[in-house]
Amino acid sequence: MVRFRKHTLSNGLRVLVHSDQTTPMAAVNVLYDVGARDEDPERTGFAHLFEHLMFEGSLHIPRFDYYLQHAGGENNAFTTNDITNYYLTLPAQNLETAFWLESDRMVGLAFSEAKLNTQKNVVTEEYRQSYLNQPYGDAWLLLRPLAYEVHPYRWSTIGKNIGHIQNASLQEVQDFFTTFYHPANAILAVAGNVDPENVFALAEKWFGDITAGNRYVRQLPAEPPQQQEKRLAAERDVPQHQIYMAFHACGRTHPDFHATDLLSDILSNGESARLPAKLVHDQKVFSEINAYVTGNLDPGLLVITGKPHHGVHIDDAEDMLWKEAHDLAVNATDKRELQKVKNRVEATHTFSESNVLAKAMNLAYYELQGDASLYNQQMEAYARVTDEDLLRVAASTFRKENASVLHYQTQRQP
Amino acid sequence: MTNRKHPPPKQLVTQIPYIKPRAAELDNGLPVYFIEGGTEEFVKVEMVFFAGSYHQTRPLVSYTTTNLLRNGTKNNSREEVNEQLDYYSAHLQLEAQKDIVSVSVYVLNKHLEPALKLFSDIIRLPVFPEEEMRSFLKNQQQIHLINQKKVQHVARTYFNELVYGEQHPYGYRLKPDDFDRVVQVDLQQFHRRWFYPGNAFCIVSGRMPYMIEKRIGKYFGDRNWQEAETGEPPRYPMLTSGSRKVHLEMPEALQSAIRIGKQLFNRTHPAFHRLKVTNALLGGYFGSRLMQNVRQDKGYTYGIGSNIVSLLRNGYFFIATQVGSDVSKAALDEIYNDLKELRHKPAGKDELESLKNYLAGSFLRSFDGPFAQSERFKELLVFGLDFGHYDEYMNTLKNITAEDIMECAGLYLNEEEMMEVVAGK
Repeated sequence: MVRFRKHTLSNGLRVLVHSDQTTPMAAVNVLYDVGARDEDPERTGFAHLFEHLMFEGSLHIPRFDYYLQHAGGENNAFTTNDITNYYLTLPAQNLETAFWLESDRMVGLAFSEAKLNTQKNVVTEEYRQSYLNQPYGDAWLLLRPLAYEVHPYRWSTIGKNIGHIQNASLQEVQDFFTTFYHPANAILAVAGNVDPENVFALAEKWFGDITAGNRYVRQLPAEPPQQQEKRLAAERDVPQHQIYMAFHACGRTHPDFHATDLLSDILSNGESARLPAKLVHDQKVFSEINAYVTGNLDPGLLVITGKPHHGVHIDDAEDMLWKEAHDLAVNATDKRELQKVKNRVEATHTFSESNVLAKAMNLAYYELQGDASLYNQQMEAYARVTDEDLLRVAASTFRKENASVLHYQTQRQP
Repeated sequence: MTNRKHPPPKQLVTQIPYIKPRAAELDNGLPVYFIEGGTEEFVKVEMVFFAGSYHQTRPLVSYTTTNLLRNGTKNNSREEVNEQLDYYSAHLQLEAQKDIVSVSVYVLNKHLEPALKLFSDIIRLPVFPEEEMRSFLKNQQQIHLINQKKVQHVARTYFNELVYGEQHPYGYRLKPDDFDRVVQVDLQQFHRRWFYPGNAFCIVSGRMPYMIEKRIGKYFGDRNWQEAETGEPPRYPMLTSGSRKVHLEMPEALQSAIRIGKQLFNRTHPAFHRLKVTNALLGGYFGSRLMQNVRQDKGYTYGIGSNIVSLLRNGYFFIATQVGSDVSKAALDEIYNDLKELRHKPAGKDELESLKNYLAGSFLRSFDGPFAQSERFKELLVFGLDFGHYDEYMNTLKNITAEDIMECAGLYLNEEEMMEVVAGK
């Protein structure tokens, strides 16, 4: 149970505080309610490019990292299809430095052509390093547009096409900031050796005078229900085939989310889970196997993926994955197996509560979903899932018409 | 109006709140250390054996022995072990490193008893079934083949070979058929030879449940668990000095992985702390010269960094990055230039102060909570050091000057003595 207090500033900034006196550190997390899903389809990759630019100097502070390091701090950020999240930790006595830095880059950035151009290059190298120059690195660049035809989850955070980044203009970057980077579109969460009253006072002092921007109203096209199975085969220079099966599933705030997540756990969370136990250890059909949910805020995907051994036909391997998926829709999960996956969820949740940064991130993320106290309700929500829920959700999920299947294959020898 | 031009006042980190471990010794001589702290009801129990790849006589034996611990014991099949580990949500970590093997479990206190029983069996009574071993090695061989397509992996393995030589376990580069050569008896012998109390220590960290010491004693204190054979680990010749360059052409690569560095020494060396600070200025954090120059100024890479690695019998320094293939020559020039400047260009007052503050904060962070503290304490035990070692580091941070750093760079990081590997184009 993570106790916290909440206060909303008059400009709309939501502030959450969790006090943990056992640590000498403080964690500060600033979540902006903007992700790759909010991008113009012809200007993709912006949310992520922006994450880079947020470190290139703000109106009054030329070097964000320099001053943070000066105060003994460390930071990073990530961009997903849903959010852009900035986080830092520093010795708790220097907390105000974090407020100074984070508030100034909410006031405004010091953009320049030169900085923009350098970060375009850095992002291009990131694209090459993470997506192109890695075996299987572009699988999700193929899978997303296969699974989604309408919803902006059809592109990755790096963008549809790196040309969008390379052509970004300074004006577009400025407009993006004005639209999304303001108090009403942000959540500030602080956890660690801090006094909540002091945190609220610092929030008022540093963020209170920032102009409340116009609240962004999200209007994204919903992905229509899939009508028939979609398939794609790609050949690459990899030593082993990999199968990806993506099934449309609900979003994170839907009542069926926890059942969907537990289905993926029954399939592959832990060495005793069905897929590794049967298909890796017993039958030795796959060398690696995995199942997980994307956990997006809008309806996401449940993905089953695995690398079949040489000599196993990729279609036969896929049939075995289908067999395991169908089994979940037909036969009730036994009591002990269901309790097992719930126990694992409980442990993972408890382990995460031992870390101030994880607590700050989670408070902000669940506040975005409507209420930070949802974080404390997660374990109960998982505990409530019944075997009937699993059967029902499995039956609606594991259907051919709901599947997008990618065969990522080794190149045939000429 | 709030004054945004100037940073708020800050206080330096001068004290590290060590949690001094409580030490005990079990009936069979196993040293156990308890590090109490944290907010949640769970513990980590870690067993460390001096049984890394340095101790093996055939490639992959330490790694395979460690990973196969969970694949069946005298009391339970692999299926049963895995089912129970998962049911009691005991998170098992198996790490085979160069000098040590670490086997640890994170478990909620309410499941401690069954988890400890299982953990004890895994460590003491593994059976290493032949078929399980073959299957594991076959899967690892597949991963090995995939890794050969990753420029950074290829650069790392060739670099280690350059630094330590192909005969030395610190430098040995795995070949695909190594995965076919391991036999069951290798694992049985290796386990008998190195996994015993006199070659181990145990650290328990977290919120201690009732009677923890007695419970650890019950599962790990058996007097019959003793040394089976004695003797020293094998000795290997270690290559030294001389600059060599290897360029590995990978025609499909869009990026080249660069690795530059040299053999040095470990944390027991008197200059270790100074070297640590010197390295940080060069490439040890985001504000470092390499990161600011090669990424932030030139945009050649998504990331670049340098590090010093402390092994039990040696240590080394390296710089690593991945850059666009079209700029790999330009990036190399910048890296060598930054190395050279480390000897000649003194850190400015701000640069040095920022570096020191960052390192002190980072050091404090590395002691945050009982699990982090147990990592730091483990490091001391492995190298036979005490907390004075960390006090010395804080003193070095306080006193080191720009001249000290240049001198250290001149002594140990001369660009002309570096090994270089470029994998890609």
